[in-house]
Amino acid sequence: MNLKSKFALLSLVILFAGCASQPPRYDYSQFRTEAPRSILVVPVINKSIDVNAPDYFLATIATPLAERGYYVFPVNMVKSVLADDGLSDANLVHAGDPHRLGELFGTDAVMYISIERWDAKYVVLATTVTVELNYTLKSAHTGQVLWKNHQIVVYRPQQNSGGGIAGLVANAIVAAIAKAAPNYMPLARQANSGAINVKGMGLPAGPYDSLFGKDSADY
Amino acid sequence: MSLGRLILSPLILLMAAGCVTQHQRYDWGSYDPSLYGYYKNPEKLGELSASLAAVIDAASTNQAAVPPGIYAEYGYLQLQQGKNQAAVDLFKQEESHWPESKVIMDRMIKVASTPVAATSTPSAAR
Repeated sequence: MNLKSKFALLSLVILFAGCASQPPRYDYSQFRTEAPRSILVVPVINKSIDVNAPDYFLATIATPLAERGYYVFPVNMVKSVLADDGLSDANLVHAGDPHRLGELFGTDAVMYISIERWDAKYVVLATTVTVELNYTLKSAHTGQVLWKNHQIVVYRPQQNSGGGIAGLVANAIVAAIAKAAPNYMPLARQANSGAINVKGMGLPAGPYDSLFGKDSADY
Repeated sequence: MSLGRLILSPLILLMAAGCVTQHQRYDWGSYDPSLYGYYKNPEKLGELSASLAAVIDAASTNQAAVPPGIYAEYGYLQLQQGKNQAAVDLFKQEESHWPESKVIMDRMIKVASTPVAATSTPSAAR
């Protein structure tokens, strides 16, 4: 077995081990008290230097929330309606009162997301692409925090360990491609999935899931 | 060699994502990539619009539920193009399929029903 296969096998073993481990459990008592049916995703705070990150991210967040069983307000319409109301500034919206958004849209809960990192770092021969996000779900009725999550997803093309000069050149090419046009979308999707769909830490099933209100053993 | 690695790495990413169970509740068609494409290049509004129409068509063909928000997203694009009646019809569809949307849909229907309220001129929307 060559080194490459060994490394691949090892990665798989680590992955499967990761699936089985039990992460600490989130405290869902406030969430259960309110049992929200609908989620409004408001403009995303951007702490990265990529000005397009919030828009691009917005294109990944509606589907996983809806697939979890929630009514998710149309993200593009919401973005435009808020902009028309002078609420396009994410920092202002996040600092504001969720109750007001509740009145405007009729939502049960508001999802506040902040992009902590959305970057590609080029270090000699390798590029590392990182997406880091913070999610906070607040009640539009009481303003209470119902749920929080933090995700960091790093993509690093694997290093060639024995390819000599040819291998180094190839790595540099791969790194340069990743640097020139990093694709953040798979990382953002993975972060969303890791935030929403993991037992004990993610979002309990929403009203359009048959497990709505019946999954307290897992959440 | 690096081709193999290029394929292997996304595969591992996929597998990591696979650790969390996920099944498709709705058929979203190309909603996500079309929205991304539109944000990347606003000239692709037509493609976003077509993808939303396709999601609605596919759901009706398969007698499946249109995903939450899709009627309203499509309705909002119609409103931006000055097609107010089409917008009103779509907002009503959203509201009847998804009662959670009632408050904002009533508001949008009111906006679309007011003759002067078109949010943009037809020329601005291709």
